Amino acid sequence: MKRLRKENVSPFLNEMNKEETVLCPQWIDKRDLMLIPLGDGEYTGDIGKTTISAKTVLFPQTEEILFFKSDAISKIIDSSKTLVFGIRPCEMKAIQFVDRFMTRNNFRDPNYFARRENVTTVVVACHEPPSATCFCSDAGGMPYLEEGYDVQLFDAGDHYLALAGSKAGKTILAGEYFEKGDTDDTVQLLAIKENALASQKNGPGTKRAIEVLRDGDPGQGFWETLAGRCINCGGCVYVCPTCTCFNVYDLPFDGGHVRRRSWDACLYAGFSRETSGHNPRPTEGSRLARRHAHKLKYDVINFHESGCIGCGRCSDACPVGLGAIEIIQELNNL
Amino acid sequence: MAGLAACFGSGAMTSSIQEFDDAEVFFVIGSNTTEQHPMIGARIMEAVREKNAQLIVADPREIKLAKLASHHLKQKMGSDVALLNGLMHIILNQGWEAREFIEQRTENFDALKDVVSSYTPERVAEITGVDKSALRKVAEIYAKAPRAMLVYAMGITQHIAGTDNVKSCANLAMLTGHIGYPSTGVNPLRGQNNVQGACDMGALPNVYSGYQPVSDPKIRQGFEKAWGVDSLSDHAGLTLTEMIDAALSGDIKALYIMGENPVVSDPDARHVVRALRRLDFLVVQDIFLTETARLAHVVLPASSFAEKMGTFTNTERRVQLSRQALPPLEGTLPDWKIICELSSRCGYAMGYKSPVEVLDEINKVTPSYGGITYDRLRDSWGLSWPCPDEDHPGTPYLHKDKFARGLGFFDPRDYIPPAEPPDELYPFTLITGRVGFQFHTGTMTRKTSVLNREAPGSVLAINPTDARRLKLTEGSTVAVESRRGELHLPVHITTDLPETVVFGTFHYSEQNINDLTINAVDPVAKIPEFSCAVSIRRIS
Repeated sequence: MKRLRKENVSPFLNEMNKEETVLCPQWIDKRDLMLIPLGDGEYTGDIGKTTISAKTVLFPQTEEILFFKSDAISKIIDSSKTLVFGIRPCEMKAIQFVDRFMTRNNFRDPNYFARRENVTTVVVACHEPPSATCFCSDAGGMPYLEEGYDVQLFDAGDHYLALAGSKAGKTILAGEYFEKGDTDDTVQLLAIKENALASQKNGPGTKRAIEVLRDGDPGQGFWETLAGRCINCGGCVYVCPTCTCFNVYDLPFDGGHVRRRSWDACLYAGFSRETSGHNPRPTEGSRLARRHAHKLKYDVINFHESGCIGCGRCSDACPVGLGAIEIIQELNNL
Repeated sequence: MAGLAACFGSGAMTSSIQEFDDAEVFFVIGSNTTEQHPMIGARIMEAVREKNAQLIVADPREIKLAKLASHHLKQKMGSDVALLNGLMHIILNQGWEAREFIEQRTENFDALKDVVSSYTPERVAEITGVDKSALRKVAEIYAKAPRAMLVYAMGITQHIAGTDNVKSCANLAMLTGHIGYPSTGVNPLRGQNNVQGACDMGALPNVYSGYQPVSDPKIRQGFEKAWGVDSLSDHAGLTLTEMIDAALSGDIKALYIMGENPVVSDPDARHVVRALRRLDFLVVQDIFLTETARLAHVVLPASSFAEKMGTFTNTERRVQLSRQALPPLEGTLPDWKIICELSSRCGYAMGYKSPVEVLDEINKVTPSYGGITYDRLRDSWGLSWPCPDEDHPGTPYLHKDKFARGLGFFDPRDYIPPAEPPDELYPFTLITGRVGFQFHTGTMTRKTSVLNREAPGSVLAINPTDARRLKLTEGSTVAVESRRGELHLPVHITTDLPETVVFGTFHYSEQNINDLTINAVDPVAKIPEFSCAVSIRRIS
């Protein structure tokens, strides 16, 4: 374990930025906290909860994956070195979800893993919930990680306690800005973790919602009534750290075509509509049901954990108050 | 706009969007709010669901809000004046009118009493198809509510009686005192992000910015001084629909169209094409080569919203700054630069260096925008006009204590039937509208794959009873014919529509519903009716 003084975060990031791209949370127009390359702005020390999760670094909203012209195909692979600073533990857990998706059916997604292998993650544990809509403990998570990160920082007042969780993490901790701590640091780390756990508020009842869905279908009427509020904007899907659905399409480019993939949303009718025009999920309610059953039922069956990590971004983003929090509350009220 | 300006002295939405949260009654007439103004629709739904606000919807279609409404009046197409007069008749008969408000803040009340006296519930039920007891109940709920908001959109304005409809809405609000207070008012929802701003800036034939009439010599002199010119015209110009007619008759030789696609969006589209082809010179300025641009002699490629900086004025009169996110695409210029270049080459030098300088001038020559400066917009969510000076906080709702024109003017109107009612040859009424995933003529949204996938093509919505009679199943193709044209469309069968009313959207140029619609216009605002009579026959 090392220490990183808070005033040294900026010099550390600037140092790293010489060799690779450094992304850290920065405010846009004082309204949205986003992971943005250092150099386009400045690190201000605000870590908070970003509007869009860190998933977007590894799996961008739109990416080019192939270029083809007559019979020649060239892959487009982005393997530039990147350091992402300020990832929250729940987002890191979500990235592990995405890892699993990107290796399904014995296929390893080349674009995703090219990035994954070249991204260094610096997680900042939550000493308290960074926003009012956070409910990670309720969703089966924790405000800090036990594994699955390169570096994890714990807020200890004027400095961070720093843990390495990988070889890349150890290399970073060997850098000049990371100082040796004293023997009390281990005790303090335990206290920070304990306080973090104690700061967790009552959540909407994810466990109970999972049981409700496990024990039976709440019925079409339940979902259609809720969907009456939905305006099909897809915002909840776009901000979700564990959503992975995408669409693939070709665009003419430079005498050939470029193949792109973009995030897609299961709430759109066109997402499940078949070529014949038949739609197995024909109503807004049936699509809403499917979305939440995926997170709270099928992920639990397949992976023994909730597919909703309790970050609350969908509830922040939804213009009609129909994010995971509200759905879980409604399921609890049944 | 003309209707509200006549009654109140200002033709804009009277409330702010936030006030929707605290209304106790909503009367939504001719607006598919959840589809076309989803953020406002969401607030209405929230108020109904969470705060037990009461919702009344008057619309021939079973729109999403209708499903949530305590009362849904399915008035016949084009019978809105009769419906509104009928409500006022009941309110007056029962003594539910706001006497003090009428006395202190309005004029011409006797004329209103006179006109609505003949709109008995029996007669109104006959004209509108709405039963008497529902009329009475709705009149009572709206009149007695402490805070009631009236909401409308193109379902009220796009009629030959559009101005009459708007005036009748204004009459109803004044009669019950539901205007000039928070969470009340008459609220026309604007259909585009900056249609309010375009009107505010004088993109109308008869006014300069801030609705200052060109016919007023003092105002004209003010602009002559500001612009360093003399002899500005004192004549009102032509409206859009009049220009098209004038192009066809040869009275207009040249037309410069910016960001508008009338070949798809205007009624009787073939008439529009004929008219534009007759012009000696057509210039179209747009971000894509639209159907209208294809007819142009010169196309001026403009930059998109993301490639320029400026302001938008939204439906609640709020002026907001829009920042530039991308450099303009090569070969394009922002609209303001194109106009400056063109003007300079025509002999009047426009040397604005940035949109900020344009806004500076707007502040100087437009009293209602006087205090809406760049510095104030930069760090805020915007300001709602009127905002006459830099210390003014902006105006969330209009007509507090006093109407913009002084006293509110009751301008009672009589019902006139629609231009083209259904008959034996054309037994159906076609109404047109939009879906949430496409914007207008699809110039932008149809180039966005996900949006296009959601709403890929034109369909004709029809009631199940009509479908059965015509032996149609979901997706059957029909020929829809009006006196102006014929289209082949697949059908979508839905209980959302009453019998003998069909619905289509105008997003799809390859199957343009406006080939069928009618170019009959309101005599004041010159807004077209669109709705028309059609026949339908099964093809497959």
